[in-house]
Amino acid sequence: MAGWPFRRTPPPGALRGSTDDDIREELQLYLELRTEELVGEGWSPEEARREALARFGDPRDVARRTRRETGRTTRDDGGRWLNMGQLVQDLRYALRTFRRNPGFTAMAVLTLAIALAGNTAIFSVLDSAVLRALPFPDADRLVFVNGYQLQDGQQAVRMASIPEFRDWKERSRAIDPMVAVDLSGVTLAAGGQAERLSAEMVGEGYFALLGGTALIGRTFTQEEYATPDGYPVVVLSHALWQRSFGGDPSVIGRTLDLNEHTVGVIGVMSADFVGVNLDVDLWFPMGMISLVAPVQLLESRGSRFLPVVGRLAPGVDLERAQAEMDAIATDLQALHPDENQDRFAQVQSFREGFLGTTGSLLWVLFGAGALLLVIASANVANLLLVRANARTLELVVRRAVGAQSGRVATQLLTESLVLAGLGGAVGLVLATLGLRALAPLIPPSVLPGYAEVAMSPRAFGFTLLVLTAVGLFAGLVPAVASARRDVATALRAGNRAVRGGRGRAQQVFVVTQVGLALLLLVGAGLLTRSFRAQLTVDPGLEMDGVWAFRLQPPRERYPDAASLRRLTEELIARVGALPGVGSVAVSSDFPFRGGSSGAYIAREDDPQTRIRYHRHSVSPGYFRNLGVELLDGRFLEDSDDETSRGVAIVTQAFVDRVFPEGSGGVGRSIWVGNPADPDNLAEIVGVVENVRYRNLTQSMLEEQNSPDVFFSIRQIPSRNLEVSFRVAGAAPAVATALRETVRALDPGVPLFSLASLRELYRAQTATPRLAAFLMGLFSVLALSLACVGIYGVLAFTVGQRGPEIALRRALGARAGDVARSVVFDGVRLATAGMLVGGGAALLGGRVLRSLLFEVEATDVATFTVVSTAMLVVAIAAAAVPAWRASRKAPADVLGAE
Amino acid sequence: MSGSDLFTGTLDILILRTAQGTPLHGYAIGKAIRDASEGVLTVDEGALYPALHRLERKGLLESAWGQTDTGRRAKFYRVTQAGSAHLESESARWSEFSGAVSAVLEGLGS
Repeated sequence: MAGWPFRRTPPPGALRGSTDDDIREELQLYLELRTEELVGEGWSPEEARREALARFGDPRDVARRTRRETGRTTRDDGGRWLNMGQLVQDLRYALRTFRRNPGFTAMAVLTLAIALAGNTAIFSVLDSAVLRALPFPDADRLVFVNGYQLQDGQQAVRMASIPEFRDWKERSRAIDPMVAVDLSGVTLAAGGQAERLSAEMVGEGYFALLGGTALIGRTFTQEEYATPDGYPVVVLSHALWQRSFGGDPSVIGRTLDLNEHTVGVIGVMSADFVGVNLDVDLWFPMGMISLVAPVQLLESRGSRFLPVVGRLAPGVDLERAQAEMDAIATDLQALHPDENQDRFAQVQSFREGFLGTTGSLLWVLFGAGALLLVIASANVANLLLVRANARTLELVVRRAVGAQSGRVATQLLTESLVLAGLGGAVGLVLATLGLRALAPLIPPSVLPGYAEVAMSPRAFGFTLLVLTAVGLFAGLVPAVASARRDVATALRAGNRAVRGGRGRAQQVFVVTQVGLALLLLVGAGLLTRSFRAQLTVDPGLEMDGVWAFRLQPPRERYPDAASLRRLTEELIARVGALPGVGSVAVSSDFPFRGGSSGAYIAREDDPQTRIRYHRHSVSPGYFRNLGVELLDGRFLEDSDDETSRGVAIVTQAFVDRVFPEGSGGVGRSIWVGNPADPDNLAEIVGVVENVRYRNLTQSMLEEQNSPDVFFSIRQIPSRNLEVSFRVAGAAPAVATALRETVRALDPGVPLFSLASLRELYRAQTATPRLAAFLMGLFSVLALSLACVGIYGVLAFTVGQRGPEIALRRALGARAGDVARSVVFDGVRLATAGMLVGGGAALLGGRVLRSLLFEVEATDVATFTVVSTAMLVVAIAAAAVPAWRASRKAPADVLGAE
Repeated sequence: MSGSDLFTGTLDILILRTAQGTPLHGYAIGKAIRDASEGVLTVDEGALYPALHRLERKGLLESAWGQTDTGRRAKFYRVTQAGSAHLESESARWSEFSGAVSAVLEGLGS
């Protein structure tokens, strides 16, 4: 040693130790030599350099820490959390770890990606349908006022009549303004072509209420609203103006041929105004009601068809407005005891009115997505725990060589955040693709018209937020565990002592996972059963091969019953003559498409007791087309026309309700109008089976409350025509021929809404189908994740219990006993989870109630099936670890200790 | 000594022990520790240098610039008398630790 030119390092603080260049040179040399060493091990020079750097850490960071040690301060900065150099190093280290463990990484990323994708997709729909503001200013204060009839404790929604609306408006202080608005289809004729448009008849204050302003021209004046047939004027939507008039401002002042009336265009609305029905082409004032309906409706108290909207007055909430409407309803009942008997009005927020049960469905799905995410996060946290465990030595030694506990925790958090980030990236792609795939599958009836099914920036932000939370959660558990660990104990005990505590953490995770998965399974089970219950509802119709389209002959050209009758006959003859078209029927409405009107009927021997019913006018072929079965008497015939006696076909429910004495219905007569006029008496000639015309979930009680009665369309003509026909193959094949035929018949009456009965039926079950499908998907994912969780914790315990198992084997326990004990562990965990989840499902099932049909939220069968499935999965998950445990030879395990 | 110093001290002791004989440059010290630990110390190899300089500042190591076998310029370290004394005074702790560490290292083989 003596010959070495060693110099004493100056005492602390006396002089600056090494220069920056010295330090850089030292580090440089280390890295060079390290690289050579790795090349010697067979790495390529490039990779070896990168690897040497990765293991060394950021040289600038090391240099800075070294420099600090040579100076006066003695603090190590390894504990500083926000250190860019360290962050980069941690990131690099994390990525390298992931590359080395592709299986682990793929598993974790995929788990997170699927859960995040589900959440993002649901959130973006929820956001667009529920959370985002409705397309009206101050929409939270807008309300619908729905008139209804109370009947045997049930609400039958039947809107308001115009005089009734006037009474409401005059009396109400809580809802101001209150405005009537009615949507109808109109026909715009131009250049020999006719086009169907949607038009709103609106009352005074409508545009101000919804914040609509005219882009050019103006909206209606008080005079135009109030004068019957005084001012034939319309305002166009921006979209129609662009589409049909090329955005030409000179459209103001032009006249249009609308429903055979000449009307003048006085304004075009700005582009952002869509009308309360969301997709409206034009507006006309209430005074011009004759464009779409008889002007007498303005004064007919009993004709209820009018939706009413309004704004809550300042300081008024929904309850107060409702209380006021109840009081007004009571007043009006006293004032008009006949017309307003049992009449009420319900005040409903816009949001509620637009969403119906879709709102609760979306919240339920969102909740399900959140549960799935918790399960997935627990799995990733578990995986990280297991890995942190496998890395006990590495972590302990890292701390022993100077890494502070904070550094190790930061490293673990970095890893889980990177995992969450990767999962989020893949999840966003999945969500975008998923939404694109899902959008066309969601029938329009499920979501309100303003909702969009697509990724939005808000959904993106939401995902970022969630994945950060997941990353922190999944990383925090192992990080805290590692920071708490006492290094000295760990070193002394090898690995064993540290593990017990974390095994417990894992068990808590697994119990939670099983619980949440069970909750989702119960939800999915209930929704599926409810959906199936709806599918098994027999609508009583032969659905395949029946199509229908609509026509609305204008009042001007078809002013009376005779002209409508002629049109009906022509339609049946000409459509029936088309090749491929089977029997044709014309009716006033069609199943699942609405449009049947409610009215009152009375027994011949009791004209005072009025019974509400649904009125249909049909041609003789109608029942045969729909496959409705005749129970008694006869169907309608061609001879049931204007010259013969009034006849009616009723349903069995009608007979049960109206003739409870059991004498049957055929041959009895009913009053269909004023009992003073014997022409209003119709004889029941046939009884048909009960058919669900309106919706599948309608109960038999509702059906009995308002049974269906069918009249001959020749005797009671209709202005709303549904032409239904049977066709071999798809109707679109004959669609062109149909259009041609109708145009040849009358170019001013366009055909619209061509649809098959099957489609209309599907739309009825769309919401429950979607709910059951998505919940099913979520719960299957949850079940598989819980399965992975159970497997993980058992595999881990088997590893940990190695010596104990070996000892038991050495003491004579059979392989089967060992396997059984592992399976028992799995069942024990699953049972604990199921108790928690089952309890939560019993308590939380209420949120599903509004979505369930003929299934209780506490349905025993569902709970049983779902628990059994969970148990089977738990046993399956336990099988592999159990098998592995049973194969442990006593010597192996003991030797390893 | 606080808990964290105790373990920072572990690396110090490993270094002091390694550099007790022939003077060694940083890389050689690091490799010796790595080899002895059979590659367990795979990360944060850079932590070696702050420790070397800290020990030097405390007077437990001394250093000199010299040449390596392959003729490269390098800073060599060796333990001072104060360093040896420190190592000795910590021998009780050291043996406790080396026992634990070797238990760990043996455990790795299984």
